[in-house]
Amino acid sequence: MSLLVDGREITLDKDGFLVDLADWNEAVAEALADREELALEADHWEILRLLREFYAEFQLSPATRPLIKYTALKLGAEKGNSLHLNRLFKGTPAKLAAKLAGLPKPSNCL
Amino acid sequence: MARSMLIISRQSPWAGPSAREALDIVLAGGAFELPLGLLFLDDGVFQLVGSQRAASVEQKDLTANLQALPLFGVDALFAARRSLAERNLDESSLALSVEVLDDAGLSALINRYDHVITI
Amino acid sequence: MATLHLLSHTPFGDSRFSSCLPLLADSDALLLTGDATYALTAGTQPAAELERLPEQVAVFALDEDVQARALSALPARVQLLDYAGFVELTCRYQRVNSWL
Repeated sequence: MSLLVDGREITLDKDGFLVDLADWNEAVAEALADREELALEADHWEILRLLREFYAEFQLSPATRPLIKYTALKLGAEKGNSLHLNRLFKGTPAKLAAKLAGLPKPSNCL
Repeated sequence: MARSMLIISRQSPWAGPSAREALDIVLAGGAFELPLGLLFLDDGVFQLVGSQRAASVEQKDLTANLQALPLFGVDALFAARRSLAERNLDESSLALSVEVLDDAGLSALINRYDHVITI
Repeated sequence: MATLHLLSHTPFGDSRFSSCLPLLADSDALLLTGDATYALTAGTQPAAELERLPEQVAVFALDEDVQARALSALPARVQLLDYAGFVELTCRYQRVNSWL
């Protein structure tokens, strides 16, 4: 599977995650979101940036609960709750947001 | 009430997949809110040394992963005093906040959990 | 709330045996299988360490593994088990810690 972004071919795995994490940029995130029929707004970007910080710090993709905790820690309880994150990312925030943020698929996400 | 489990990790980060497997069990269990503990024993305490450079042997950074444990709901982290002392590791300069236990403390710890897995 | 510690690796050149012994509480027990039964070899350091365990700590070994290795002059405190005894033993303790 692949994705064409600004004339560049981006390879995806069978679940739509980036094969090479270095391929990520904001245009790629937009294209990935298009495939999921999701329009990225400021609230989404805030979480995507947060996920990239999480990955830089811990070298892994968070499962749902750690994602909620980390969001609450960094952005406050109003955003660090399952309601907010589920609403933004179609009920599967850990999986979908990791995909759009260019992170590996969360290994604990069954 | 979920059954509690203690995972005993006794291999260094560089001795094959054991340390990572132990951590994966803990992270997966933590994500499901199981009451888990993680004990670093024997060479497992080498996982707690800071400033290790996984990239120099083209591996992933286990120490960075360990820092995520509290976010995964795993706060019961322990290390064996004897193992640290044998390896001349200073309890106060570990990369992760752990409770350091002597032999009697470890016996009691093991006997507090419903299940124990040593890896 | 006692634990049965199960060892199956040799005590010679592997750290599981020496690492396990200090963790045994008085109510705990040790079961030796496979190459771990070499710890029963008379006149060796591991056999001496077994003798030094608190006497409340029960020490078991799988008989067929002992026989296969022609081990004799076993420490008096060792109780030999067949597989049925092994299974019964694992049920008698609250948890089993296998030193994989």
